[in-house]
Amino acid sequence: MSKRGLAIVGIGEVPTLRNPERTRWDILLDVCMEAVRDAGIDKNRIGAVISNNPMAQPGMQNDMSLGKIPEVMGLEGCRDIAICNAGGASTTNCLRLAEQHIDSGQVDFVLIPHTTVQSDIPPQDLINFFATAPLDKQFEYPYGVTFNGSMGLITQRYMYETGATEEELAAVTVALRAWGALDPLSIFYGKPITLDDVMNSRMISTPLKAKECNLLADGGGAMVVTSRDIAKEMGDKAVYKLGHGTRFMSATPMLREDVFHRQSYRESSQDALSQAGLSIHDMDLRQIYGAYPYTQCSALEGYGVCEEGQGAKLWAEGRCGPGGDIPCTTMGDATGRGHTGSGVSMAFYLDTVRQLRGQAGERQVQNCEHAILTTSGGSVMNTCTTVFGRAIK
Amino acid sequence: MSDYKKPLPEIQPYSQAFWDGTKQHKLLIQHCNSCDSNIFYPRRDCPKCWSQDMGWIEASGKAQVYTYSVTLEGVEQKFVEDLPIILAWIDLPEGIRMHTNLVECEPEDVHIGMEVEVVFRDVTDEITLPYFRPVKA
Ligand SMILES: [Zn+2]
Repeated sequence: MSKRGLAIVGIGEVPTLRNPERTRWDILLDVCMEAVRDAGIDKNRIGAVISNNPMAQPGMQNDMSLGKIPEVMGLEGCRDIAICNAGGASTTNCLRLAEQHIDSGQVDFVLIPHTTVQSDIPPQDLINFFATAPLDKQFEYPYGVTFNGSMGLITQRYMYETGATEEELAAVTVALRAWGALDPLSIFYGKPITLDDVMNSRMISTPLKAKECNLLADGGGAMVVTSRDIAKEMGDKAVYKLGHGTRFMSATPMLREDVFHRQSYRESSQDALSQAGLSIHDMDLRQIYGAYPYTQCSALEGYGVCEEGQGAKLWAEGRCGPGGDIPCTTMGDATGRGHTGSGVSMAFYLDTVRQLRGQAGERQVQNCEHAILTTSGGSVMNTCTTVFGRAIK
Repeated sequence: MSDYKKPLPEIQPYSQAFWDGTKQHKLLIQHCNSCDSNIFYPRRDCPKCWSQDMGWIEASGKAQVYTYSVTLEGVEQKFVEDLPIILAWIDLPEGIRMHTNLVECEPEDVHIGMEVEVVFRDVTDEITLPYFRPVKA
């Protein structure tokens, strides 16, 4: 069977909020129905449901793993289901598994959903979950390390090696929040912040301040994907996957030689771009899911957008935020959007679709024809880079 | 000492020697006798060559701070009494990097490249955790 290629033809998403009244299943059903309606297909043409594994949501994980979605939604054409878990990179793996179903020729449309509610989980339980899930139980956890602490360690070293200042890194968060302030789907919609707001926020794990750390929130999204040929018949709504590359580093940050993931960003993006037959300079938008500000800098260095150590300057000069000439991460990253666990990557794909369709409202990147997107899971264990376009070359 | 409420290391059969070592206030590093590499953290098999011919060497206990971060909040309740916690990655001359806490110093005294040395704390009757402190000039 020849490869049929992948295109995203339907999207659905709910605003990122903290509202325990909105249940996991409410979110799930809303986003799935919206994505199917957006694709404009009959629900029974969905041939598979590949779910993004929601972290810290054991009940929902069971429902998604064991087939509740097609049953509850009456997806009569569904041939199989699966759940993918690679932390923040889960959505990337959903897309890859969906592509395999589509390439088989036996399935035309795949539904990829995500849902997460964190606002009904006690804060201490969430701290415990996010402290223990990605960390080594023997050589990290007994020392009081948290996700923020782990990323604080890397950020401190990044500043030491590059000379980036706390103000320059704070500018990353200001820009991400500026994108979020323009996005009705962000928990920070209408709430931009200043450099002083970031610099004066409480210190959490040096050099990371409260505004640079993530606010855990609720959200969800879904995509309908299909083959390139079918997508071409569906008109302007289609966004095409043109190339893909990945690199794995390590589960445990301290074991990483590529401590800022530059090499990993470089190699995964080169693989994706060469498959697409494009260069990094052909990209109109760079979407980086790193969840902490230094990644927004080191990714640009790895992609080859700038020299090593110059990433923070681009953000500080305002070139990556709204109105800048190198728009990056219009989705806002977890910092500018609210952190929905593994759902952040879902939101990144959906935002990329909106940009390429010209549906990104006040955040719209002009003439957005190509976008590069990197997701990562765990404590940045990997970089999964995909190039999307609004047409096939 | 039995009132220690913080998480203890989840010891594996192949890391038992490391923790037996700390109890005797020795810092042991796993060593592969086949490919001669030093390994951290301890594994059942050598991650480089899959040999099971693994031994232990005693580290000098000296190290350098590769990076650090002072945590002021956002920890589990059981760690709150320790705040501020100075997290650090330290490089040992034996070619390995460890995660630790820096102790017996103030946050403002810490810098990248600082020379440190191991110090052992017997946190329970069974478990001794290795920490690092500045080398006194
Ligand atoms: Zn070996």
